[in-house]
Amino acid sequence: MSATLQDERDEAIRMIRDSAVGIAPRAGDRKRIRALRFKSPGFDPAVWRQMGEQGWIGLRVPEEQGGAGLGMGAFCALAEELGAALAPEPLVPGALAARLLAAAGASAPLEALVSGEALVLAAWQERANSFEVPGTPDAPRLFLPMADGARSFLVPVRAGDGFSLRLQPAEGADLALEPTQDGGSYGTLRPAGGEEVGTVSAAQMEAALEEAALGTAAMLLGVMDQAFAMTLDYLRTRQQFGKPIGSFQALQHRAADLKVQIALSRASVEAAAAICDRGGDREDAPAAQRRAAIARAKARAADAALLVTRQAIQLHGGIGYTDEADIGLYMRRAMVLANQFGSAGLHRRRFAAAQPEVEA
Amino acid sequence: MTDYNAMTDDEFRAEVRRFVESEYPTHLRNPPNRLHWDEGEEWFRIVQKKGWVAPGWPRELGGMGLDASKQIILIEEYERHGVARLPDHGVIMLGPLLIRFGTEEQRARFLPRILAGEDIWCQGYSEPGAGSDLASLRTEAVLDGDHYVVNGQKIWTTLATDANWIFCLVRTDKAAKKQEGISFLLIDMNTPGVTVRPIINLALHDEFCEVFFDNVRVPKENLVGEPNKGWSMAKALLGFERIFLGSPRQSAYALSRLKTLAERMGVFDEPEFQDRYTKLRCDLEDHKALYETFVAVLRRGESLGADVSMLKLHQSDLFQRITELMLEIGGENAGLLKPMEGNRDLHPAGQFIEARPTTIYGGSSEIQRGILAKAVLELPG
Repeated sequence: MSATLQDERDEAIRMIRDSAVGIAPRAGDRKRIRALRFKSPGFDPAVWRQMGEQGWIGLRVPEEQGGAGLGMGAFCALAEELGAALAPEPLVPGALAARLLAAAGASAPLEALVSGEALVLAAWQERANSFEVPGTPDAPRLFLPMADGARSFLVPVRAGDGFSLRLQPAEGADLALEPTQDGGSYGTLRPAGGEEVGTVSAAQMEAALEEAALGTAAMLLGVMDQAFAMTLDYLRTRQQFGKPIGSFQALQHRAADLKVQIALSRASVEAAAAICDRGGDREDAPAAQRRAAIARAKARAADAALLVTRQAIQLHGGIGYTDEADIGLYMRRAMVLANQFGSAGLHRRRFAAAQPEVEA
Repeated sequence: MTDYNAMTDDEFRAEVRRFVESEYPTHLRNPPNRLHWDEGEEWFRIVQKKGWVAPGWPRELGGMGLDASKQIILIEEYERHGVARLPDHGVIMLGPLLIRFGTEEQRARFLPRILAGEDIWCQGYSEPGAGSDLASLRTEAVLDGDHYVVNGQKIWTTLATDANWIFCLVRTDKAAKKQEGISFLLIDMNTPGVTVRPIINLALHDEFCEVFFDNVRVPKENLVGEPNKGWSMAKALLGFERIFLGSPRQSAYALSRLKTLAERMGVFDEPEFQDRYTKLRCDLEDHKALYETFVAVLRRGESLGADVSMLKLHQSDLFQRITELMLEIGGENAGLLKPMEGNRDLHPAGQFIEARPTTIYGGSSEIQRGILAKAVLELPG
């Protein structure tokens, strides 16, 4: 990447972080999150619209199709900020649907989605902890996040080497909901009667899912980063045995180890985003290299976020095990995001398959 | 009355097994949360009818008079069957304390009511500012005529909403060294000035409470033992808690759930899973062996040393590692708020959350490691 392009990329990332603060501040209170959780639809449609107005939902959609045309570096920065703020609005699933609609050239539903007027969810998954898209016409589609707030579902159905995308309205759909630990829900859809809005290739489908996996990794990075910041505050202020508990070496060493994991996660996520953005063209990086980098980042972020949030609870002691302490909200979010778009184990297997070890 | 100690261990084990298999209510097996009194009372009444409310108390006081070895067998068989723990602080904590340190009047007044299920006790030790550093507790009791006047706050009081009595550690001498100014006081929770507030925990269950004391007048005959000796009395009874918390029960149950989950996710036969599962199995078997060595100490009629900290430390760590693997292999199911479709006992997220506080309560793992380093390894500092 040339120096100018690099500067432009850095500037876009800075701007996106600044704008995120306006809608979803990192250190903001968690009253909004608590008010929305365990209720339908689990997020605030007005905030979703604001996200659309900011250009976030279509961040990765080319400008000529009404998107912002920005890279994965910017998308990951945004996802990280929303993760740190625990924003329940389904940015990553929404952005996935936008990518697919853009690739299929389905301009009407794309416009409604990226403007934040409606939520469209890609109903691709047929098995728990999977990353492949079988595209079986009638098979139930699983684990649709915040499905209760969707206007329509985008159901990929296998057609030749690629997929026909069928848009099915949520109204009248056979949809069952199960609540999730973070206060949202997973929907199970029995597809019926969708209308084809276009087609995508298998490569486009996989690239879109990989971006969703990387976006989720970035969100996990934000979750762990903020949970760690809150824990450091607690270590500095909580007094036992006449001094701040953060002065005890055992806890200092634990905190230092967590910092290492967060730094590794950040490096891995940002390196994967840079590979996606290399050359300014998202299709430019060789597929195997991209896949390996994203798989590594998602595996690291999932493991590290669970470790950091678990330890955050432990370091908060009894108060950490209460629902009224905000730190628990971070662990619940990590529990849900860690296995969305593939678990750490699944992504390690993808990494091994995509990047065979080179003999020294 | 049956002398259970006259039975062989095998005979007694068979007797307990028959009892729980024929009489324990099926719908109460392996509950996901601690049961409230009204949820578990039907089981209490069955146990009461059998005369088995207080296994460790002497027979002349209405207990079963079991020796340590038989008590362990009883616990093992209950755990094997998934028998729920009732609000049992009266039986397990207060009873033994009154039997050892109480007056004749206190025993006559309180013990029969515990056996009858008329008094439900809770334990008021921890405070917001006194968790790991329990001896820094500040709830104070000031003598005023025939009464102590109590002011302060307790926290993490298990099932206080169910209890009508609370036994508390209170500060009665502010000038003394912190462990030496603490007394053991019994407080009727219906006394004016006592307020209970439930705390919702991460499992979204109201198991813990805060208890507030605002000028609560407590008759001075409710003080147990000598004034300012409460700390050593309470500490003398902690050994049993630590072996109880070190029991392999939670890990054994979680491991069986891990296996079911792995089968359902289709990964049970994968070599990678088998390797990790087998390691956990070996950890559990080794833990049982370690647990047995401590049980043997109790069987010999000896008391447990500080090294019992190892049991709780390892059990809680193992329980957490098993549930962490459940989360890893459970896919999106591991994010669900409720048990998985079609199996009430399969709830990876619930079990993961349930395992979190085991390294915090009953002396956190950090405190247990400190005890091991100082009292067992005799390291300096």
